[in-house]
Amino acid sequence: MTRYVMVADLNRCIGCQTCTVACRHTNATLPEIEWRRVLDMESGEFPDVERLFVPVGCQHCADPPCMHVCPSTATRQRDDGIISIDYDLCIGCSYCAVACPYQARYKTDRNRFAYDGKPMPSEEILMDEKRLGVAQKCTFCSDRIDAGLEANLTPGVDPDATPACVNSCIANALHFGDIEDRESNVSALVDNSPHFRMHEELGTDPGFYYLWRRKSVEE
Amino acid sequence: MEQNRTPTRRKIRTYCNQCGNGPDLLTVETLDGVATRIEPDFAAHGVHPADGKVCVKAYGLVQKLYNPHRVLTPLKRTNPKKGMNEEPGWVEISWQEALDTVADKLNGIRKRGLKDENGNPRFAFTIGSAASPMWYIGSFPAFIQAWGDVDRSIGSGTTNKCYHTEHIFGELWHRGFTVLPDTPRSEYIIGFGYNADGAAGGVIAARRHADARARGVKRIQFEPHLSVSGASATEWLPIKAKTDSAVLYAMLHVLLHEHPLTDLDVDFLKNHTASPYLIGPNGFYLRDPETRKPLIWDLAGGQAVPHDQAAADPALEGCFEVIDAIEIGADHELWTHARASGMTGFEALRRHVADRSPEWAAGVSDIPAHKIRRIANEFLSHARIGETVEIDGHLLPFRPVAIVFGKSVNNGWGAYECIWARTVLQTLVGALEVPGGIIGSLVLLSGAHGYDRMNTVIAGEDGFMFYPFNPTTKNEWNPRSDSRHAHLTLTPMAGDGIYSHNIGSTVISWMRLQGRAAETWPRPNPPDVWFLYRCNPMNSFSELTKLGESIARFPFTVTFSYTMDETNHFADIVLPEAMDLESYQLIPLGGTGWLESLWSSKGWVLRQPIVEPRGEARNFSWISNELARRTGLLEAYNAAINAGACGVPLKAEGYDHALDVAEEHDEKAVWDRVCKAASASLTDGEEVHGLSWFKENGNLLRPMSTLKWYLFPKMVETGLRFELPYQERFLRIGKQLANRLHETGVEWWDRQLADYEAMPEWKDLEKLWDDALQRNYQAAAKDYPFWLLTTRSMQHAWGATASIQLLAEVGNNLAGQDGILVNSIKAAELGIRDGDEIEVRSAVGAMRGTARLRHGVRPDVVLMIGQWGHWKTPFAKDLKRPGPNDLIPMNMDLIDGMGSTNETTKVAISLVEARP
Repeated sequence: MTRYVMVADLNRCIGCQTCTVACRHTNATLPEIEWRRVLDMESGEFPDVERLFVPVGCQHCADPPCMHVCPSTATRQRDDGIISIDYDLCIGCSYCAVACPYQARYKTDRNRFAYDGKPMPSEEILMDEKRLGVAQKCTFCSDRIDAGLEANLTPGVDPDATPACVNSCIANALHFGDIEDRESNVSALVDNSPHFRMHEELGTDPGFYYLWRRKSVEE
Repeated sequence: MEQNRTPTRRKIRTYCNQCGNGPDLLTVETLDGVATRIEPDFAAHGVHPADGKVCVKAYGLVQKLYNPHRVLTPLKRTNPKKGMNEEPGWVEISWQEALDTVADKLNGIRKRGLKDENGNPRFAFTIGSAASPMWYIGSFPAFIQAWGDVDRSIGSGTTNKCYHTEHIFGELWHRGFTVLPDTPRSEYIIGFGYNADGAAGGVIAARRHADARARGVKRIQFEPHLSVSGASATEWLPIKAKTDSAVLYAMLHVLLHEHPLTDLDVDFLKNHTASPYLIGPNGFYLRDPETRKPLIWDLAGGQAVPHDQAAADPALEGCFEVIDAIEIGADHELWTHARASGMTGFEALRRHVADRSPEWAAGVSDIPAHKIRRIANEFLSHARIGETVEIDGHLLPFRPVAIVFGKSVNNGWGAYECIWARTVLQTLVGALEVPGGIIGSLVLLSGAHGYDRMNTVIAGEDGFMFYPFNPTTKNEWNPRSDSRHAHLTLTPMAGDGIYSHNIGSTVISWMRLQGRAAETWPRPNPPDVWFLYRCNPMNSFSELTKLGESIARFPFTVTFSYTMDETNHFADIVLPEAMDLESYQLIPLGGTGWLESLWSSKGWVLRQPIVEPRGEARNFSWISNELARRTGLLEAYNAAINAGACGVPLKAEGYDHALDVAEEHDEKAVWDRVCKAASASLTDGEEVHGLSWFKENGNLLRPMSTLKWYLFPKMVETGLRFELPYQERFLRIGKQLANRLHETGVEWWDRQLADYEAMPEWKDLEKLWDDALQRNYQAAAKDYPFWLLTTRSMQHAWGATASIQLLAEVGNNLAGQDGILVNSIKAAELGIRDGDEIEVRSAVGAMRGTARLRHGVRPDVVLMIGQWGHWKTPFAKDLKRPGPNDLIPMNMDLIDGMGSTNETTKVAISLVEARP
C-alpha cells in the first residue's frame, strides 16, 4: 500500500510563505485562498518568548471527518491516502469545512481577482469555473503525482511528480513521499527525528508530520 | 472554431535579481503566450547553492507583469506646479515626443556645460535597492559613460538604509563590502540584528542557515524584537535598542581580561594583524627612522625591528622602550624620539576595554552579565584555535565562529564601534577570512585595480592592503567635490570609484539642497535633469514631507516607472519601462556576490522576454540607444559597450565581437555580442554562444574553487596584515581632514570628525539621541520614550513589490506586517488593544496605523515592518500600512563620521481610536 504524507521540519521553516505562493501559482487559487500557508505562532511572555512557523493545509487524514460528513460523496479517499473532492458531485453545503479540525477547506461563490475585480490575462487563462460554489482544499498536487507516476517518476523525489510547495521550499523544510515505504525519504525523516502530528488526539490519523526539536539553551 | 484545445505550454528560463542577493534562477511557464506560473529552475539542482529555487518575491513577477496599474505609455506633466497636493495633470504622449523632450533638455546641458556654476553635474541619476536595478538597466551604463559627469549623490536609500559603515570598514579591513558568516562551515554564529534568513540574505542564506541548524549550529540573536532570524536562532536575547556595542565591548573584555593570552590565536595576532605594531606617545606608530616602517618589539632579539622582519618573534603584550624612532602624524608632522615608550596595539586594545566588563554592559544593554560572559566564552571555545581544514589541496585555519550585523547596527552612530569590536573579536580567535569565520564577498570601493576581490589584495602602506582613501593632505585635498554630497571633500573613506557616490553622505545631499547643512558652502542647485530608476525616495528616504518640498523644486525630472508612485508624482516625464519578464540582459552569475551569495561556480545568465512588452513599455537598452542618438553620443555609447559597459569587453585577447561604433545596433544585436564575448571570456574561447543559445539554455557556468571565498591565503601570499586593532591611518586622515576643513572655515563637520578615532570610545547612543532631540527640537527624553525600529520582510525587501497583491496577501500571514508591533504588556498598560488605531509621533512627523500586539518585542520599542506609508502607489496606498520614514529626522547631529544615519528615531505612541 501507498500512503502519501507531507513532512514539515519546523526547525528549518522560516515562515517565508514561498510555499504559499507556489501553491497559489500552481493550483491557480483565487486571492486569499491558500491551500497551503504558514502560521506565525508565538508562545510565552516577554522576555521568554518563542516564535514558531507552522505550515498548514489539508492533513489528508486516514480517518477524515470531512469525508464522513459529506452528504454527496464528493469527498473521497484515494488508495494512496489523498483526500479528493469531486467538484461535479459537491453541492457546496460546507459541512466538510465545518467538520475539518484543521480549517483547511475554502469555498467561494464568485471569482475574485488580484486587482479591481477584473482578471489579468494570467488569471483569465487559468480561471476554473468548476471551483466556484464548491469545497476546495489542498490536493497534495495529485495531478502532478499522477502525471509523474505515469512518467515513471517518484513523488517526493522528482520535481515533476512532487507537490509545488515542496518543490519551492527554500529552506528544505517541506518533504513529501510514501510513509508506507520504509525506504522512503519521509520514513527516514520521521523515523530519525522527534515529531508530532496536529490534533492527533481527535483520532484523525493525519498524513502530515511535523519534525520539531526543542531548543536547548545552556545557562 | 477550436474547442477544448490544449493550450500551448512553454517553460522559459530566466533570473530574478529583484534584491541584491541574486541572480537566482527560475522558469516561467506560459500558456498560449500568457505568463502564468513561476517555478524553480530544477536543472540548477546541485549547481545553484539553493538548488535553483527562488524566494517568495519572484512569484510576484507574473502580477508585476500584468498589474493593471502599470504605466504603459509615456506621460508628460501639464501642471507646472509640483507638490504632494498638486495634481500633475498627466497627458499621454508618444515615445517620439517623450524622447525628443528629454533629449532637448539633455542637449541643453551639453551646450551649457556638464557642470553648473558650483561645479556640480547638471545631470543626476538615482537608483535604489542595493544597486540591483543595475541588473535590469540594459545598456544604460554605456549611455552614462558616454555622457561624462553625472551626479549619483542624490540618494533614495543609500546611506540611511544601507549597511553603510560596514561597507566602508569591511572593505578597508578585509574586502568585505558585505560581511557574512561562512555559514556552510560555521558552528557558532552571533547575530546582532542579522536578518539573513528572514530577508536580507535571499534564498541562498535561507537554505544555508536551515542546513546549518540541521547540522547543529548554535546561533545567538541579539535584537530588540523577535525577528524571523531570532525565531530560528538557538537563543533570542532582547537587547535594548542601540546598545549592541556595549555587549561587543564586554565580549572583548572577557577575552582580553578574563583569559590568558595563550587562550587566543596568538599566531594570527602576531603575524597576520597589526597587534604587535608599537604605538608612540603621540598616538602614531613608532617607525624606523630610515625606512619609515612601523616597528614591532622582537622578543627574541630584545629590540624594536621593522614589522616585516622575517625572523622576529613579535611581542603582543606590554610597553617597550625604543631607541631612535620617529612618529609621523597628520600633515607630515614628524616627531623624532631618541628614546620613546612604545605600546603594542594589542596592549592598547586591552587597556581600551579594561572598564567594559559584562557587569557594566548589563546595565546598558539589559542583557544579564552572566549571559554575556557565557556567550563570549562559547565564542572562544567554539573557535577551535589551532585546527585546520583542507580546501582543494590547501590547508587553512578552521575557526567556525562568526559575529554578524543587520541594518542600523552597521550604519550611523555606533556602527564604527560595533564593526571595529566585532572584527577585532574575530582576529582574537583568528576567525577572519578563514573557513568558518566571517568573510567578505564583494568589493565595490577598493576596485581601483578591477573588481575581482582577490585582485584587490595589493600592498598599500605599512604592511596593510591598499585602500583608495580620498586625499586629505594640503596639496591633494579636493575642496570642491563634483557631487552634491561632496564625497571627495568630506568623506575620505568613500573613495572615488564607481560606487563612491553611493557611499558618500546622501543625507548631506538632501540637507544641502534644503539649505540645512554646510552653511559655509553655497547651497547647491538641483540638477537640471534628474533621472530615477527603480527607486522611490519619496517613500524610502527620511523626513519625507520635507523631501517632497525639495523634489518639487527640481526643474526636470524623468522617471522610468512601473506604476505611479510617490516620487514620480513630482516628475515631468514618466517613461514606461519594460519589466523583468519583458527584456534582455546578460549578467554575471555565481562567484562571490552580495552577502551569502557564495557559489562554487561562476558564469553568466540571461534575462529574456517571456512575453512581448505590455503597452508602450520599452526596454532600457532601446531607451539608451535612442537617447544616445538624440544627444549625438552614439559613437561614444557604442564604444562604451565595446569597452565593457554591458558587463564584459566585447573585444579582448582571443576574441573580437565588437560593435561597429558608427552604426546603430538594436538590443538583440547588442546582447548577442555580449553573450558571445561573455562565453568566450569565461571559457577562454572554448565555447562561444550567442543570444539564441542563452535563450534556450539560460546560463553558462564554470566551476570555481571555494578557496576564493577566503582572503587569508592571499594575505599570506602577499605578506600583508589585517589592519587591526589600531587605526593609525584612519586617525591621521581624520586629523588632516579636520585641518583642511578648519582652514577653510568649516566647523559644521566637527561632530563627525570626532568619529575618526584610532580605537573608538564607547558611546551612549540613547543619550546622544536624547541630547540631539533636546538641542534641535526642544524635546525632553521623556517626551519620546520608545525607539521606533523597522525591519525587512522577505515578501517586500527591495524589489518594489508594494503593489503586488499576492505578496501583500501572504505577508499578512506574518505578525505585524499590516500594522505597528507593540509589546502586549506595554500596550495593556496604555489601554491599547490589538487592532486599535494608534499614532506614532516623532520630533518631525506622525504616522497612524493598526496596533498589533506581540510578546516578542521589547516594551520600549515599536516596530514597523517594511517601508510602507504609501499615498500614491496604486494598491499599496489602499493597504494603509504605516511606514517609518517620514518620522525619521535628517539632522546634522545624527550623521556619523562616515556620513550615514540610523534608520530609527525616538517616538511616543498614543491611542487614536479603539477598534469597534
